[in-house]
Amino acid sequence: MVGDGFRVHTFFPGGYDINMSPFFLMDYGSKINFSARKDPRGVGIHPHRGFETVTIAYHGAIAHHDSAGNCGTIYPGDVQWMTAASGILHKEYHETQYSLTGGPFQMVQLWINLPAKDKLGKPKYQAVKQSEMVSVDLPDEGGKIEIIAGNYQGIKGNANTFSPINVYNARLNKGGKAHFSFPENFNTGFMVIEGAIKINGSEKADVNHFIYFENTGTEIEIEALENTVVLVLNGEPINEPIAHYGPFLMNTEAEIQQAISDYNQGKFGYLDE
Amino acid sequence: MIDQFKNYLKEKIAITDEQFESISSELKVKKFDKSEIIQYTGDKLKHGFFVCKGLLRAYSVDAKGKEHILQFAPENWLISDRNNMNNEPSVFFIDAIEATEVVLMPNDFMQQAAMRVPCLQPLQINLLNNSIRFMQKRINMLLSATAEERYLDFIKLYPNLTLRVPQWMIASYLGITPESLSRVRKELAHKHFRP
Repeated sequence: MVGDGFRVHTFFPGGYDINMSPFFLMDYGSKINFSARKDPRGVGIHPHRGFETVTIAYHGAIAHHDSAGNCGTIYPGDVQWMTAASGILHKEYHETQYSLTGGPFQMVQLWINLPAKDKLGKPKYQAVKQSEMVSVDLPDEGGKIEIIAGNYQGIKGNANTFSPINVYNARLNKGGKAHFSFPENFNTGFMVIEGAIKINGSEKADVNHFIYFENTGTEIEIEALENTVVLVLNGEPINEPIAHYGPFLMNTEAEIQQAISDYNQGKFGYLDE
Repeated sequence: MIDQFKNYLKEKIAITDEQFESISSELKVKKFDKSEIIQYTGDKLKHGFFVCKGLLRAYSVDAKGKEHILQFAPENWLISDRNNMNNEPSVFFIDAIEATEVVLMPNDFMQQAAMRVPCLQPLQINLLNNSIRFMQKRINMLLSATAEERYLDFIKLYPNLTLRVPQWMIASYLGITPESLSRVRKELAHKHFRP
């Protein structure tokens, strides 16, 4: 559990030893039912520095506040793209109304590394609402590709990134097919959020499975075996040293110590409980 | 885990592998789960703890059920109830804030080991001195320092614990209310935060 509100499995770097750079971490909360509760479950105030957190909701609703004064609610289909960069404090809770009714909850949180030159940049926040999501319809009523960041077939998504990254929600109808073409050196992984897919005409992947692709080709085709949602992650690796401690992701141990010291001294700002 | 204790000693004194070998048979290793209470008040433990990985704390509980934290012991810290050295019952609880791996040090370990390995003698005195110094400073801070001074001293001593333990535990250690700690952190942020 992260706090008491997010039952997640850390697919990487904890679960599998794979190189998904620039994606450093993926916490996946598979679909579960939370009981109704007056006091929302969640995770209290904590800092981040040196990377971006990207929260993608599929079921349930997450409320968040940060020390830069941003706040909002992430509803199913929405994405919160928070650039912690030089440092931010935030807290994430089940949204009040969702907490009162309870119900299914499913989400993904990614930690996306920042290039060294951007690690101490100004924090920022991008809310990508599903209603404003740029998407590409697939042929034969196959479904659509929602472009969260990067581009698909030349169409650009809303979120701006610091290094070349593609993040999509592929929402396919049963029998729908989608084709992806990525540079061979980019790292690629698919998370099956709902349904099941066949990959490149052969391998099958069920719900709650993560598919990690080797860097040995450029073309990927998936076919939905039922109505399916797939989170597509693709990006150019950031080939720089990594120093990681708790909520900080830097390049050197000295920068980690600096992050801890800055956090302790209030240099990340303040956020009320 | 024993190796970590050996490295700890090697950083402080010139102990050879053979010398360490001659004393290490007295040491045992143990793992504790998160939240496991490993010493209750009244216990007479025959050993103290060297923390290899994880985090322990020593605390008392007052008549109203409120916890008062005497010491945190993260990696490479020693923690024990000195009453046990005199075969007196413990006055503190010790529990594991995180899943923790320790070396169990028999109460007379340093004394016995120093007889066999002479270079341990000055270390034994040093450790005892440090422990007294730590307690003297702690008493003085509790008697005379402001909440902010206590917090600034805490983050120097235990830099990463602010990321590992809840605020109320830090407040309990500092002898202030969680609200006071919150106020101190807010004031520091106002002083140091440059958006």
